[in-house]
Amino acid sequence: MGYASTIKVPFGPQHPALKEPEHFLFEVEGDTVVGVKPRIGYVHRGMEKAFELGTYTHDLYLAERICGICTAAHTTCYTQAVEELMGIEAPPRAKYIRTIIAELERIQSHSLWIGIVAHEAGFDTFFMYVWRDREAVMNLFEELTGGRVLHAMNAIGGVRRDITPEGASKIRKVLDYFEGRTKEYLRVIRTEQTFLKRTQGVGILKPNEAVKLGAVGPTLRASGRKDDVRIDDPYVAYGEIPFNAISSDGCDALSRTLVRAEEMIESIRIIRHALDKMPVGAIRVRAPKVAPPAETVSRVEAPRGELIHYARSNGTAKPERYKVRSPTLANIPSLCKTLTGIHVADIPIILAGIDPCFSCMDRLLVPVKGGGGTRHIAKLRVG
Amino acid sequence: MTQIIAFEIFELLVFPGIAFMVLMGFLFEWVDRKFFARIQSRYGPLYTGPVGILQPFADFVKLLSKEDMVPRACDRGLFTFVPILYATLPLTALFLIPIASEAGLVEFDGDLILLIFIFGMTTIAVFLAGWSSMSRFSILGSVRSVLQMLSYEIPLGLVLIGPAIATKSLSIGEIVRWQASNGAWFLWLQPIGFAILVICLLAELELIPFDIPEAETEIVAGWRTEFSGRKLAMFRLGRDLEIVLAASVVASIYLGGAQAIGPIPPAFSFILKALGALLIFSFTRALFARLRIDQMITGMWKFLLPLAIAQVALLQIELGAFG
Repeated sequence: MGYASTIKVPFGPQHPALKEPEHFLFEVEGDTVVGVKPRIGYVHRGMEKAFELGTYTHDLYLAERICGICTAAHTTCYTQAVEELMGIEAPPRAKYIRTIIAELERIQSHSLWIGIVAHEAGFDTFFMYVWRDREAVMNLFEELTGGRVLHAMNAIGGVRRDITPEGASKIRKVLDYFEGRTKEYLRVIRTEQTFLKRTQGVGILKPNEAVKLGAVGPTLRASGRKDDVRIDDPYVAYGEIPFNAISSDGCDALSRTLVRAEEMIESIRIIRHALDKMPVGAIRVRAPKVAPPAETVSRVEAPRGELIHYARSNGTAKPERYKVRSPTLANIPSLCKTLTGIHVADIPIILAGIDPCFSCMDRLLVPVKGGGGTRHIAKLRVG
Repeated sequence: MTQIIAFEIFELLVFPGIAFMVLMGFLFEWVDRKFFARIQSRYGPLYTGPVGILQPFADFVKLLSKEDMVPRACDRGLFTFVPILYATLPLTALFLIPIASEAGLVEFDGDLILLIFIFGMTTIAVFLAGWSSMSRFSILGSVRSVLQMLSYEIPLGLVLIGPAIATKSLSIGEIVRWQASNGAWFLWLQPIGFAILVICLLAELELIPFDIPEAETEIVAGWRTEFSGRKLAMFRLGRDLEIVLAASVVASIYLGGAQAIGPIPPAFSFILKALGALLIFSFTRALFARLRIDQMITGMWKFLLPLAIAQVALLQIELGAFG
């Protein structure tokens, strides 16, 4: 028996690089990762079952709490699905307000991510600056909706609060400030040599592999593809607002950073346009309590990528089945592919590259043959 | 006679001996944390003492009272011994540096060599700390720290020897006196050497961009992962003393050291210079992202080492031309 040439390095469920409990076991040979085994399911909360137990009104609050960072994406997706089941449509003004909140949330989520990736690269000063500026958007949320994190803006059949002219001017002020700051971040990302050294050519994901492994969102767009649900399948007011899908063909960690930073600028443009062209009228229509038997799939471009909600109704006030596929889950296979053959030091940057939101993702249960109970999907091996 | 002995004991234990150096360690940690925080538009330590000045001391006392956990798999003897070694090494080296006057507490011809040796020993202590704890993160961290030492040690030695060649003495006290009597700091005479020294000391102190052996997001706390309680307190004290040592080396060898400038007494001018050196460290570590170990080693061997050699060659030409 010779000595094993590899050692196993565990990342998580408690590790400084992961902000949420999830486990990745790396097989390391020297300084090179030769294999990775993810083990997901630490924060399974039984949400889909909870959806079946609550009424449609209750479930709105539940959908809001699937994720703390992309709550507006989840409620937009939820209300869209339920409105389709009930056969109602939100008024045009409500759709514009949903768009504005969703894009503000994208700005907030992307700036959070840029801070995290800077921290993973050991660039703490950049992290502190980005998070300081992010506060402007968080405070704006508080003024507009009453909550910094959970906005509770979307309701079935419209939105809960209107954006007043004063609110609109506040949004414009914050956007002016944030646009300048974002351009400054872009300059830092493009010119800071140590940051470039850590991200350029790191974690390559080729376009064909990204498509094959089902990557979504900025991860996919950083591999040179222009897939964006907002353009491919416009929802709320995106069909009426001209904007571009951002993509970058570097296929590396740097492209993922650039795509997100440029998307923030694009989001600012979308919000400005939406504020200019906002139609007047009602913000909410009355929604029935029950939905006739039907099923529907609703898609939304969350900050992390394509978010899918599936709902089936049976003529009662509660859904018969509700399924959520969050973008992080779709990005795990491509993540495992990029995590092999890299330096140990690059693990955190690549791991953070998909903008993981593990708590939104953990709802997988598979029945074990012969046994009575269920277990989490333990091993998922790719590449 | 008794008076002289009492004075010597006072010098050794209080000023400029152990108590003063530990105090400087805490002060320097506070300055570093506060300055670093202000650059990042944070407040830094705020509550303990006026503007948080007692925070490093409070942290130290808190750690002393914490539970001291020892992993079952570790090498027990080494695991207990290394924290003490790590704290005493920089303290020993600080005795060689002239702080209160133009002569150090301990001075002999060749103490510069001992200083370089102690810098090397500190890294060996780090390696032993990681190795004895037998944890995957610790071992990765200690291997990285030794790899790092292999790349910065030669340029560091070369730039410390530069002033020694010019003064024709291997004694730190002699180098300080030479600068005082000739009225010129080596910062102006050998600017390349100064820059290289700062970079090498950043690597020695494991500060960004060279905090590779304790990269938080990669390997938790690197070689320090398994230490807790008193042992961690000793490591933190050793780290503070190492920062004082590094700042003192810059201050005495390149900035003229403890010399009276006008009405300012030598000890004060020394502390001011050392603080200046500390601010350079703090400022630099706020500017960059962390490098990868292979990038760091390549950079050191490709750029820093040739520059250090060029510095020595330049010095020889200078000496040949002007005597």
